[in-house]
Amino acid sequence: MPKRSILHMFDPMPNNSPFDINMALDTGFDVLMPYSNVKLESIHGLTQDAIFSRSPSGIKRTGIFIGGRDMGLAMDMMNSAKQAMVPPFEVSVLADPSGAFTTAAALVACVEKQLKEKHNKQLKDCKALVFGGTGPVGIATGVIASLAGAETSLVDHMSIDAANDIAKEYNRRCQSTLSGAVAGSDEEKSTLIADADIIFCTAKAGIQVLSSDVLSNAKQLKVAGDVNAVPPSGIAGIGANDACIALTSPEGAFGIGALAIGNVKYKLQHKLLNVSLTSEKPVYLDFRDAFSEAQKIV
Amino acid sequence: MEKPFILHMLTTAKNLSPFDVNMAMDAGWVSAIPYINVEASEVKDLVQDVIFSRSPKGLKKTGIFIGGRDTKQARDMLKTAKNSMFPPFQVSVFADPSGAFTTAAGMVAAVEYELDKKFNTTLEGKNLLALGGTGPVGQAAAVLAAQAGANVRIIGRQLDKAQRIADLCNDEFGEGQINILAGADADKPDYIKTADIVFATGAAGIELLNAEHIASASQLKVAADINAVPPSGIAGLDAFDNGKEIVGSPSGAVALGALAIGNIKYKTQSQLLKQMIESDTPVYLHFEHAFEVARQIVKSTK
Repeated sequence: MPKRSILHMFDPMPNNSPFDINMALDTGFDVLMPYSNVKLESIHGLTQDAIFSRSPSGIKRTGIFIGGRDMGLAMDMMNSAKQAMVPPFEVSVLADPSGAFTTAAALVACVEKQLKEKHNKQLKDCKALVFGGTGPVGIATGVIASLAGAETSLVDHMSIDAANDIAKEYNRRCQSTLSGAVAGSDEEKSTLIADADIIFCTAKAGIQVLSSDVLSNAKQLKVAGDVNAVPPSGIAGIGANDACIALTSPEGAFGIGALAIGNVKYKLQHKLLNVSLTSEKPVYLDFRDAFSEAQKIV
Repeated sequence: MEKPFILHMLTTAKNLSPFDVNMAMDAGWVSAIPYINVEASEVKDLVQDVIFSRSPKGLKKTGIFIGGRDTKQARDMLKTAKNSMFPPFQVSVFADPSGAFTTAAGMVAAVEYELDKKFNTTLEGKNLLALGGTGPVGQAAAVLAAQAGANVRIIGRQLDKAQRIADLCNDEFGEGQINILAGADADKPDYIKTADIVFATGAAGIELLNAEHIASASQLKVAADINAVPPSGIAGLDAFDNGKEIVGSPSGAVALGALAIGNIKYKTQSQLLKQMIESDTPVYLHFEHAFEVARQIVKSTK
């Protein structure tokens, strides 16, 4: 009997995300094993139990997925899993906490594409703001944009300290150059967006972060992307289905909606899962791999 | 590649019931994924993760099952799940906490059938005692019987708890359209004299109705017991009884045992799990839907 493919899904949260489960099964993994409430200290042991229980040919049909809501913890777990491998007893590992890596990669890749096509600019020429920047998708978006050269700020809606702490932490972890910012009121938002070239909106679903009044202050705005699929949209004027809609702004800005980004994210996660299922050699995939694949997809 | 049928199984308990997992797999779901210790506040996020990770076509092969122990919580989670979806990102949801909805449906449908066959009558206007009726099965059965027109009284060891459950049934599940009453166990000898129907849904191993009660039940028609572990909840009743006359009943009442009811429950749950797979539009299933299906099953199998 051919060995069935197994994906071991390690998650520090009380439950795995149904999103990741649907994606993994749709990619073709035969069996999914959810592991919830997993601690960082347990990753080494769990990984070795996964690799030593199948022959080297069998473990080609075995993978590890790391979920959760915390990007830093996911990166630590990925490192711990990597260190637990004993070649040739080695399996592929994909980290995508809350789908944050793939969502962020898709968002930045979509924005990068419109920036080039509509304004003939690159990320490194631009100043970017990430609203909802202290959540998992926001942090990953900021790190990817920053590593691609954009001058990027993570915007928190309550606390400048929270934003600065997170920017500092991820600069240390990922060698990015993020800064922190705060904007709660419409006045603060209006001031902050005045010289932004790019706006990423990764705030909570169903909350409008930037109204059309506020947005009218974005004099430099070129491209805005919103990952919120639940009405109202995070940025006024961008519908969830908009692949690229013109916004009323002096610079001729364009907006990208959640389902357009979601479509890329969906293909991307599928691709990465597929790579970990079919790759001859074990692969270790994080947000960097997610972004380079996303660039190919768009 | 054909997309597999995925059932996301949510429970507030610390484990799923293996009963539900087996039922789901046998009904045709390919993957049954457990989500345990789920809190009501987490349902929305879980549901939105479910619906946004497959295409509308794939979502037709996706479902959500809500288990747990608490009927009200399961009903509320079903509502939350439904309200968290947007066309065309929708999946079917089926709530059956502790199997209580399908068990209750099976019991009430079987009782209704016996009433018709043996006594040529319906639940309408009948006096019904729900003994041990404060648990999940008792609650759902009481509501279904009341909706069918019976005068239902939930009997519990503590009157105030029975009253609280009766209020919950009337307000939450019956949406103010029914009027279930409460009674204390101590007054059972009086209530039984005018009872037409008895449901025994107490804990296993407790006799809720003894031989003396049965002898004084001069208009009793049907007695149903969901307890499969001896001793039965009703004196003289056997788990296999399926319309057999109860020894010592002055009115010729018939008995429905746990295994006879369980058989209908089993088919009902299976059919609802299949309905989720086969339905072209999303369905949201709870005890009322279970009752419709159970009624058809009883008619077609007996």
